[in-house]
Amino acid sequence: MKVKVAAILLCIMFQSFCVSAQTKKPSFSVSGTVGVSYEGYGLDRNPSGWTGYSPRKPWNQVRFNFMPNFQFGKNFSLPFNINLAALPTNFAGPYSGYIPGGPKQSFKQWIANPVNNIAVNPKYKWAELQLGTQYLSYSQLSTGDIGVFGAGVDLRPRQYRIKFFIGTSQPGINYFAGPPTITGAFKRSNWMFQIGKEKEGKYEVAFNFAKGKDFIASSAPPPLTIKPQEGFVTSLVTNVFLNKGWYIKLEGAQSIFTKDLSTPSTLLIKSFEPFIKAHTATTRDYAGSGAIGKKGKNFDLGISTKYFGAGFQTVGYPYLQPDRLDYTVNTKWNTWKNKMNIVASLGQRVNNISNTTLRANQFIGNLNWFTQFNDKWSLNVNYNNFGFQSASGINPYGIKNVSNDLGISPTYTWSNSKMSNLLSFSYNYSKYDERDVLTGLTTSNNTHTALLTYVPSYFTKDITPDFSAMYFYNDVPLAKTKLATISSGLSMPVAKKKIQLRGQLQYNLVKLNAYTGDNNVIASCSVDWKITKKFSWNTYLSTNYFKYGNSIVPNGANYLESTCRTGFQYKFDTKQMK
Amino acid sequence: MKQLITIIYFVFATLQLTAQLNVNLSLSGRPPAALTEWSNRKDVLTLIIGPAQAQLADVKIKTTIKTLDGTVAGSTNLNTAKTYTPQQGASTILNALDVLPLENIVFTGKYQSALIRSGKLPADNYMLCVQLLRATDFAPASAEVCKTFYLAAYQLPILTQPTNEQELNSRLAQTAITFRWTPVVPSSPTPVTYRIRVFEILEHQHDVQALRSNQPLLDKNIVGTTQFIWQPQISMMPYTNADSTQNNKVNGKKFIWTIQTLDSQGQPLNQTDGNGESLSEPKVFYVTDKKTKE
Repeated sequence: MKVKVAAILLCIMFQSFCVSAQTKKPSFSVSGTVGVSYEGYGLDRNPSGWTGYSPRKPWNQVRFNFMPNFQFGKNFSLPFNINLAALPTNFAGPYSGYIPGGPKQSFKQWIANPVNNIAVNPKYKWAELQLGTQYLSYSQLSTGDIGVFGAGVDLRPRQYRIKFFIGTSQPGINYFAGPPTITGAFKRSNWMFQIGKEKEGKYEVAFNFAKGKDFIASSAPPPLTIKPQEGFVTSLVTNVFLNKGWYIKLEGAQSIFTKDLSTPSTLLIKSFEPFIKAHTATTRDYAGSGAIGKKGKNFDLGISTKYFGAGFQTVGYPYLQPDRLDYTVNTKWNTWKNKMNIVASLGQRVNNISNTTLRANQFIGNLNWFTQFNDKWSLNVNYNNFGFQSASGINPYGIKNVSNDLGISPTYTWSNSKMSNLLSFSYNYSKYDERDVLTGLTTSNNTHTALLTYVPSYFTKDITPDFSAMYFYNDVPLAKTKLATISSGLSMPVAKKKIQLRGQLQYNLVKLNAYTGDNNVIASCSVDWKITKKFSWNTYLSTNYFKYGNSIVPNGANYLESTCRTGFQYKFDTKQMK
Repeated sequence: MKQLITIIYFVFATLQLTAQLNVNLSLSGRPPAALTEWSNRKDVLTLIIGPAQAQLADVKIKTTIKTLDGTVAGSTNLNTAKTYTPQQGASTILNALDVLPLENIVFTGKYQSALIRSGKLPADNYMLCVQLLRATDFAPASAEVCKTFYLAAYQLPILTQPTNEQELNSRLAQTAITFRWTPVVPSSPTPVTYRIRVFEILEHQHDVQALRSNQPLLDKNIVGTTQFIWQPQISMMPYTNADSTQNNKVNGKKFIWTIQTLDSQGQPLNQTDGNGESLSEPKVFYVTDKKTKE
């Protein structure tokens, strides 16, 4: 049935294309980019056998990208998006599973691996066919975060919107005890559908439906900690844009989610058949979001709120945290002939709202105030406050964490006939208090950061240097950390400006309590060579040498970490060639 | 005649008493908040029946969850409950799947609505009582045994600093980046480990794609505190003169970070909620070259 629908849609699209092709000879053009890059990583640790520092990149990686857009006439386009990596390096979440050294992935797994993207989106007028891996965002509460490998359509006849996509967001991966241990994952199939109406800049109304289901038999042996899940969500989005910059955005959603498909089915919880059948691990809950505000040239004001019920869950946003209520007021204000700019937000988040006895409150306040006093002086002040508090539960004291950050950054610029100069100073004070739930004692964590930057710009020379010095001090009980950094950068064009060179050198001194300081040098450079107008060769080299004092055992341990990245990029456009 | 009736009554009563089964209930004082998770963990609930001294009739398990003031939150529907045959001379060991079969437990009022919405009961102290009943007439086949427990759902940390889409100055970020998050609520009886991970979002990558497919630049376990100062030791200079990341709104590098909360065994704290791996909702931040911007 699904195949038939897709075939009919394809026929309609190509027939329409052929009809238009008969009446007018189509022009043809291809534009886009193609590139290949190599990244090499090296880590040399001393003394030999010391493993106190772990590699953080694959030793070798080759990446390939090919993104051409074939344009047939005015109405038909065929854009490809192909991004491939030679080695899988999947890491986090139940979606990980391909680790160098582990079992090899099959072709199916390779093509659906999130590290690779292969997609083509042929489009004729208002009809778009979506094939391959697509990251589709239907709405804030239904689906949007996850890449799905499959097929679908995005149809926009007049003001109507009809979207449908079906595919796999996760191939099945067997649990592997290792080493290296592979968490494993169940194969997850997804589909999503949207129907609505939209008039750009005026309004948008749409119903969204999204579903995902894991296949229990897709993983053998199955993951030890991951449970097979199934979820279905429906939502209604309404956005209205009124005169004078006023807007209203609303969305309401209901999710029915089974957290463990291996639990028995039940009649005590209402199913939503044929879409989803209830199990004992099924929850049914709501979410809503709303925003109202006004956007102007010099003044913005907006109020937004979000609510996620404790059982609200959607496969389209697998990392979404439910059980919370947020409300925020945002404002932006330009005044004093646009020389003063104020951005502020004030909000509160209530967590664990379903458990009244352990409800947690989080206050968030931010202010950024920039003033350009005259041609020479400007000042930026920012203040962030964050507070988190919860009831005590079975502990003697509740959790209470408070963070206060204040930053002041004056900048002075001056110039003469040969050069202009920029001198900037930035000071930030951060205080973070955490209360112990057993003793009630509050631990203060104080951080002072000062940064001085000088940037001269020559009117007659092509070189652009910069210099900066930084001091960082963090004080917590039993640990005082001091960091002192000096760094300098230089950029300049050479070879008739065909090559752009940039370099940076940084030295850090790290001191913990009374231990001998650690020394760190970071050097990096990049060479961007524009071989022709369309063909470029970019190389980036970076090295990091770190030597410990006596703060760890073995004393004097050190490592040298280096990254080399080089790649060719070719831009093409047959229109320009003509 | 009266004496004979009295003797017969005592004989039957004595037989009845000796026919009662001995049950032993073991229940974790702080089991998982999601009731469906009880059956996944063998350490949560164990019921040992017997051994029976004589051949007994089939029994059903009546399970009741009450608050400490005696209010019944839910109890077994005996008509649909499974029947067990106690083994003569041997003990029967059952776990949460048999003792608390959610498909046969009828919850009341607010407890039912909370369970349907979230899969959890409201945070509180509860009592679980178990009694064996004869399957034929629901007459007691054992004494009622009760255990108290405390239920509270864990709320995973929320990432607070850097805030979502915050732009950090590359000069500062190259030396130190401070990460902060809210603690697990309620605080766990055993210390939890916060595993912080930072991934670079490479060119042509979507945010969550980077999280799912890249090797992390930072992978560190933090115990007992909700702040970490990272010295990245990474040059924050963009890879190319144009822009390192096509998707970036700003000139610089783009990162995504998250916290995974692990229990004292190193396992995800909340295995049935959300993504199943106790990963907090990730946030994105940029490291930008302010000088270039200006």
